[in-house]
Amino acid sequence: MLSLILIVVASFFFTGIIIRTKSLLSGRMGPGIFQPMKDIWRLFRKGSVYSETSGFVFKLAPTVYFASVIMAILFIPFGNQPGLFSFEGDFVFFAYVLALGKFFSIIGALDTGSSFEGMGASREALYSLLAEPAFFLLMGSFALLTGQTSFADIFGTLHFTSQISYAIGALASLVLLAIALIENSRMPVDDPKTHLELTMVHEVMILDNSGFDLGLILQTTNLKFAMYGALVANMFLTRGYEIYYSIPIFIGVQFLFALIIGVIESFWARFRMNHNPQFILMITSIALFIFLGVLLMLGKIV
Amino acid sequence: MEISGWLSSTWLVAITAIVTIPVLKVRLKSWFATLTILVSSIITSAIAIMAIESNGIETFLYAGRFFGEIPLRIDGLSAWFILIVNFTSLMGALYGVGYMKRYQDQPRNLSFHWSLFVIFHLSMVWVCMVQHSLAFLIFWEIMSLTSMLLVMFEHQKADTLKAGINYLIQMHLGVALLTVAFIWIYASRQSFDFREIALFFDNNPSLLLFFLFFAGFGIKAGFIPFHTWLPYAHPAAPSHVSGVMSGVIVKMGIYGILRIVSYLSTASLLLIGEIILTISVFSALYGILNASVHRDIKKMLAFCTIENIGIIGIGIGVGMVGKSTGNPYIMLAGFGGALLHTLNHSLFKSLLFFTAGNIYKMTHTRNMEHLGGLIRQMPFTAVAFLVGALAIGGLPPFNGFVSEFLIYSGLIEGIKSSSPEISTLMILSIAGLAMAGGLSLITFTKTFGIVFLGNPRRQPADQPVEVSGLMQAPVILILALIVAIGLAPGLLLRPLMSALIPLGQPGVSIESDVSVFTQLNLVGLASGFFILLVIAILLLKRFFTHDARVDVSPTWGCGYVAPEAGMQYTGKSFSKSLAKLFSMVAIEEKKYKEISAGNIFPKKRTYIARYNEFFETIIIDKALRSLLSFFNLFLFIHNGRIQTYILYGFFFILLVLAGSVLNLF
Repeated sequence: MLSLILIVVASFFFTGIIIRTKSLLSGRMGPGIFQPMKDIWRLFRKGSVYSETSGFVFKLAPTVYFASVIMAILFIPFGNQPGLFSFEGDFVFFAYVLALGKFFSIIGALDTGSSFEGMGASREALYSLLAEPAFFLLMGSFALLTGQTSFADIFGTLHFTSQISYAIGALASLVLLAIALIENSRMPVDDPKTHLELTMVHEVMILDNSGFDLGLILQTTNLKFAMYGALVANMFLTRGYEIYYSIPIFIGVQFLFALIIGVIESFWARFRMNHNPQFILMITSIALFIFLGVLLMLGKIV
Repeated sequence: MEISGWLSSTWLVAITAIVTIPVLKVRLKSWFATLTILVSSIITSAIAIMAIESNGIETFLYAGRFFGEIPLRIDGLSAWFILIVNFTSLMGALYGVGYMKRYQDQPRNLSFHWSLFVIFHLSMVWVCMVQHSLAFLIFWEIMSLTSMLLVMFEHQKADTLKAGINYLIQMHLGVALLTVAFIWIYASRQSFDFREIALFFDNNPSLLLFFLFFAGFGIKAGFIPFHTWLPYAHPAAPSHVSGVMSGVIVKMGIYGILRIVSYLSTASLLLIGEIILTISVFSALYGILNASVHRDIKKMLAFCTIENIGIIGIGIGVGMVGKSTGNPYIMLAGFGGALLHTLNHSLFKSLLFFTAGNIYKMTHTRNMEHLGGLIRQMPFTAVAFLVGALAIGGLPPFNGFVSEFLIYSGLIEGIKSSSPEISTLMILSIAGLAMAGGLSLITFTKTFGIVFLGNPRRQPADQPVEVSGLMQAPVILILALIVAIGLAPGLLLRPLMSALIPLGQPGVSIESDVSVFTQLNLVGLASGFFILLVIAILLLKRFFTHDARVDVSPTWGCGYVAPEAGMQYTGKSFSKSLAKLFSMVAIEEKKYKEISAGNIFPKKRTYIARYNEFFETIIIDKALRSLLSFFNLFLFIHNGRIQTYILYGFFFILLVLAGSVLNLF
């Protein structure tokens, strides 16, 4: 439960830090760190406008999307405490329940019958499909490295000791960062601040959402960021650490994660649409490198 | 009555049906056939359940001097498949009762159809029981022929005829391979009993013989590159037949492969397992990639069957690797996942074909680009299709996830193997399976979104309405099983364990190592929790928004105020960027005329774009063409002039005469 609480707390300030970083780097003061949360809270209490084309799928979709991320978070351990659900192979459930959420967010977008939203949905489906193997390659490599198959056991036994393992840790953080960027439709794959429907990915899918539903979708994005941040943090929260060490480490990693995303978004332009698959497949090859590194570390090859 | 007597009585029931159906009133034909299938299903299912309880039944049937005693053995594996065949065929028949109503003006065609359906069902059941090569081939052939005729119900259509003949030829290619394989064994063991296959493989582990069997059964199952009949036969057949074909007939191929795998000696398993695993990963990816670009609903489902056969094959491969390395966990997860996915696929694929049948019945088109917004007129069909789509995508909380999870468990455990080759193969297979899962997400969001959501893209001739309760009933039954297996997979543990016994190490009890299946209950629990979570959030939403203002207005059109249905995103455009990325496999063929420089006035033009299949257009068709042009070199012999043919006969007689005079022969 501790991980759920900490991730929810981290999600409250995550987007705020990104926005603050971006404003500071572009020479502005920017809004307060909790501004995104204030916006979401206001949306929660607002009325909604529904498209006359849409039906119950559209109304259900944001809820399932949100629930899928909450469910995924319940699998994430915190240091030596397993998540609410923990069993062998639980990261498969984690990935598939996120895919379920994506399924609903896509059909929710298609329910409006808008050409723009169909376009965004198609792109989002493609990018998340291409990012899928990287996550499994990463977790598979960790399973090989630690000999464990559940999140809690993998992170519980993961130790970074040798030079190769530091490289693996760095590459793994990079992969998780990239997956977080892709899954949340951020730069360099998608620009959340763009306002031309033709070039948007995620934002164009939710054009017709309003009120509570929009608030849920925005909060889902925050939670997803914090969730991937928590996965990165978990690589450094191994069994040895007590709570009074691990909570500050966790918060620090989340803060750094948000800061890096802010910096990336400030200095990196988005790719042309047809270059995105190349970028995403690059993540897969990095994940393959991790697997190679693990084989080297265990002395199975060479 | 003895068990063999009960089993033979099923044929008596079938013959009664064949005699009775033609003389019945047209309305009653389908009901009588369904009743017959129900009766023989009850008999054979009861025997299958007995076999599960008593760890296998063996009986012999005397069938004349030529065949001798035909061994009928029902072990857990047979029982598992018999139960799947019975359930799916029964649901197919029940759905067919409603679906075939509009063909009541063709009573003779209907009599033929329903009589064949009865034989078809029974032949599949017997394929699972008979363990005598010759008798097996006969039942196998009855199954192929009846299903071919069932596919060709609408025989007045040229496409249907072509699909049927394509199916016929490919099935006979398969039978020919199987015949050669069985003769090989008979030649060395002098017996048709299946037990001899095991003894044969123990003494001389022949890869070639195994791959004869694999190709023979693989044509039925639809592994690449033996899959080319599926995308033609499934769309051509009436929907209840395609549901049963995709649900169970391709599974007979899987049954055959598993049966042969159970006879292999442990030493030869590793290499074969690795090869099957590789073929299967490619089958899964190739099938679903093609499914994602096609716009004919039933063709899409046919390609998706290839994907699922690939997933089942991955399970089989993993199981074989696990067995050969002596790791019971991997073996049980692999074979168990394959068997469970066989069941699950038969459920959700027949469900999807039945709902596709509903769509076809109401709109008279299978082209999803002409559809849209059907959720408003056909809400039941839409929800059923959605559940089927989620289940087939392997998404929790439905049954597809359970079996894919088992296969993943086997693969993940396999990564930890001590040999780096196996680790690498396993992790690449995981990446492939994950990719297939992602592709099926695109495929089914596209299909569901385009067909059921948005606005109708064309105004149909008559307004579609929801199908009758009769056609909903089988769908509801299947839905109930899909949800039940998703939430409580532990219910299937007993038959599954029994089905795994023949596949396991002989003499080693598998009851001791069921830890892999205890995970499944946790998966079911997590799925159940997820449903509660969704309900909780819906209640929260109700709490927050019960007094909020709700407005209804047109969809945001980016400032454009006159949107129309034709402007919606289409299925083709939805998968376009994906298809471009994989254009080497999903080959797009476009037919249009460039606008020439002088053409300044607008006029009507046509533009046709369709996707061709890589294997068919690049490999098989090219090979066939070069084969044909080679044979054409001998065209001068076969020149069509009767005089020449008489001359050939004359030469032949001369040759024989000369030969016998000179004592050459």
